[in-house]
Amino acid sequence: MRLGPGHGEKGFVLGPYEYTIWFICTLLEVAVVVCAFRKNAIRRYAFLNAFMGASVLISVARYNVLHHYGFASKEYHYFYYYSDFLLTIVLYLALTSLYSHVFSELKAGQYVRLGTVVLLCGTALFSYAVVQQSSSKLVMTHFVIELSQNLYFVGLVLTYVLRAAVLKIRETRTRLIQLILSTGVYFSMSAANFAMQNLSHSRSTLFEYLPPLFGCFLPLSWAYAFWRIPEEARTVPSQLAVVPR
Amino acid sequence: MSRKLTAILYAALVLVGAMGLKTLVAKHTDGSVVVSIGGAPVPPPQD
Repeated sequence: MRLGPGHGEKGFVLGPYEYTIWFICTLLEVAVVVCAFRKNAIRRYAFLNAFMGASVLISVARYNVLHHYGFASKEYHYFYYYSDFLLTIVLYLALTSLYSHVFSELKAGQYVRLGTVVLLCGTALFSYAVVQQSSSKLVMTHFVIELSQNLYFVGLVLTYVLRAAVLKIRETRTRLIQLILSTGVYFSMSAANFAMQNLSHSRSTLFEYLPPLFGCFLPLSWAYAFWRIPEEARTVPSQLAVVPR
Repeated sequence: MSRKLTAILYAALVLVGAMGLKTLVAKHTDGSVVVSIGGAPVPPPQD
């Protein structure tokens, strides 16, 4: 039997590692909202805080479902994936709100909203097409999982595009840059872990232990950004050296 | 109008890039979940 997180010698069981990481991750998510509240950043970064708040509530609800029905139950299975879908949608909206912050001076809010809706609808259509092709009847859970995973990759690309835009327009708000970079690192670490897992052609337990740790990174870095970096802080963009000929 | 079309074009480019990246990364996947948000353990596959 395969060992690793949630896979013990007696079947699917959760050990102290899973519970500890889960608890720490939830505490860090609470810390993000508390730090944002203390630094008066709740309204400015409303979608980011809504995502963290929703993540805390869903963590508590998941624990209740797990406690009542068990780890291998259908109830936990369905609740997990449907709640993950909701979280992915809110994270997607949080990411697009960062676009609105970056392009606020260009008065491009309506175009960001248009792009957000078009991209979401396009991803949903693509996911629907994939699910319909793979099975004769549309399974709602399969569609929800597929859309979550596709939105995750859309988020990954969106973060890199946003980072390029920040460099191009010489954005100087340190807190905003920190939030974008940490989101990019979080997406990249998870994608790299998954790619390594596939490339190695083996289900090494190391690759299964890492994702929950990555889950802790995002709230930790956001809490740091809210707590340690003031809204007024500015980063001086690097200047290109002019070499006289 | 052209700015709206530009926004749609960028959205389409991001979608194409993201789906291409997913296809590349998940080439040899067995359909397992790529990533999950939060620290909760991913449930085992249902039979």
